[in-house]
Amino acid sequence: MWDALIITPFINTLLFIYNLVGQNFGIAIILFTLLIRVITHPLMVKQIKGAQAMQELQKNEKWIKIQEKYKGDREKLAQEQMALYKELGINPFASCLPTLIQLPIIFGLYQAIISALASTPLDLLRLIRHIYPGLLQVESLIPLNSRFLWMDLGQPERLFIPGLSFGIPVLVVIVVLTTYIQGKLIATPPANPKDQTAAMSNMMNLYMPIFMGYLAYTLASGLALYFIASNIIGILQYAMLGKVNWGNVFPFLNKQSPDTKSAGQKKSYSK
Amino acid sequence: MKTNKVILVSLFLLGTILLTACGAPLSGSSWPGIGSNGDVLYVANMQHVYAVRVADGSMVWKYPEKAGRQMFFAAPVLADDQLLVGDYENIFHSLDPNTGAEKWTFTQAQGDWIASPLVVGDVILAPNADHFLYALSRDGSLLWKFETGRALWAQPVSDGEVVYQASMDHKLYAINIRDGSLVWSVDVGGAVIYSPTLDVEERTIYLTTLARNLMAINTDDGSIRWQRQFEGGMWTQPALNEGRLYLGDLQGTVYALSAADGSNIWSQKVEQPVTGKATIVDNRVIFPTENGSLIAMTLEGERLWSRSFEGKLYTGPVVAGDRLAVGIAEGKEFLKMVSLDGQDLWTFVPPK
Repeated sequence: MWDALIITPFINTLLFIYNLVGQNFGIAIILFTLLIRVITHPLMVKQIKGAQAMQELQKNEKWIKIQEKYKGDREKLAQEQMALYKELGINPFASCLPTLIQLPIIFGLYQAIISALASTPLDLLRLIRHIYPGLLQVESLIPLNSRFLWMDLGQPERLFIPGLSFGIPVLVVIVVLTTYIQGKLIATPPANPKDQTAAMSNMMNLYMPIFMGYLAYTLASGLALYFIASNIIGILQYAMLGKVNWGNVFPFLNKQSPDTKSAGQKKSYSK
Repeated sequence: MKTNKVILVSLFLLGTILLTACGAPLSGSSWPGIGSNGDVLYVANMQHVYAVRVADGSMVWKYPEKAGRQMFFAAPVLADDQLLVGDYENIFHSLDPNTGAEKWTFTQAQGDWIASPLVVGDVILAPNADHFLYALSRDGSLLWKFETGRALWAQPVSDGEVVYQASMDHKLYAINIRDGSLVWSVDVGGAVIYSPTLDVEERTIYLTTLARNLMAINTDDGSIRWQRQFEGGMWTQPALNEGRLYLGDLQGTVYALSAADGSNIWSQKVEQPVTGKATIVDNRVIFPTENGSLIAMTLEGERLWSRSFEGKLYTGPVVAGDRLAVGIAEGKEFLKMVSLDGQDLWTFVPPK
């Protein structure tokens, strides 16, 4: 069921793109990621709007009052919260549902890339069985050209420079950086910086790049390429929606108040 | 707050394990490879190479003692006082066949050792997924290497002077063993997964391709003697016996063909995808199937017996004296010994 509905169509789309772009698997991964992100864009917009509505709710006077009033009675608190959701027309699941729908698609994308990178005979046999014979010709398609730039997309990536006895994991560095930057850019200032949600969010921003970097270091570089494409496209999507907070990455953009400006000017003048 | 940290870190660890598991097939997905000297089986499966007594299935040794990142699947090859086996971490090993002690390693390849090596005289010919065929001396030093267009997954064959290497790049190469120079190459129209079969007397190589073709190629110049296309995909190599080729296809038909022109002598439906080379022993041909069955027939196509194993078979049984060693993929057990009539003799369980 999962294979027939998600994996097989994804693999065929990926390989169809691969054929279209002159059998370049790196370009195919980037375009396929872009395609999936464009298709799931409406879901992402809904998710952002839902999350924003929930965040604004935290500042709502009625919400704060309810929290105070019923902090010892969880059941009553839940009832009152639900009533307030209704009153304000907020769906508390509006940000979760689109994410839940996107998750299988993201997992499918990941699995499709892994399957297409078949690097052993058994993986290849499985891949061949996924291919629609009417759409693609196995004999001309296999083996896939997994070379992209200096990489073999079926192997973990290392860039070997003459004179160095070890390879540099360039993609890992880019994965860590883009994941970190994406996390920072889309982070919205919490209603209360001291609450647990804010702390969790900060920890996520710290651990996520390390986690993704570890995966990129150990798994095939085709996946690292997908992570990078996905991060960059994600940043662009948020930017298009005006939800990117550049000040989180470039703090000087936040220091545009007249006071700080004049302080800066004074400093430069004193030189 | 501390609890939250613990939960978060645990979730990351869980996620890492799950995603790494998704990627696992990239580094280790194949079937057990078996070599034998008649008394001992040498079995490459997952993280170890095992030496197992043919008589009773007891283990002589395993390599390495402690499991590491290395994955072994290519059938080990015995060459006098060396057991040669490559792993999926780019390392080619020479082991002492009596003790499993490592003699030397060759680490210059950049890809997995998916195919078994071939030993011709004093030259070890080892194909790697990094597109190169490596020629090594008996002490593991590199003599020459020959580059093809894509990964090499098929064991080469040789007549003693020339080595014939099939590649995933749709070509068959004839290479001079002495210096690694190209003699000829021929486009066979599809990737070659399994090793070709060589008939030295008839100067002919038989191979199957992913283009569903069975081809007979003249070893003198690479010209195609004949070719035949099948409806079902071919995931096997032809087994040659007295002028006949025996093989099966993924649609579940087995064939005996004339090696002279590829014409049908007989064919039978077995209703299971035939995966791997048939074994010919004692006037019978035994086909492995992906459903985990061995199907034994007379050389004229009459069914003798069939039996099933829990798992899948991607290669025919290996003959060890009057016994058959069966390597099983994706099953509870990976090595079973059966008689020529298919009766269970023993099951290998690696000691913990």
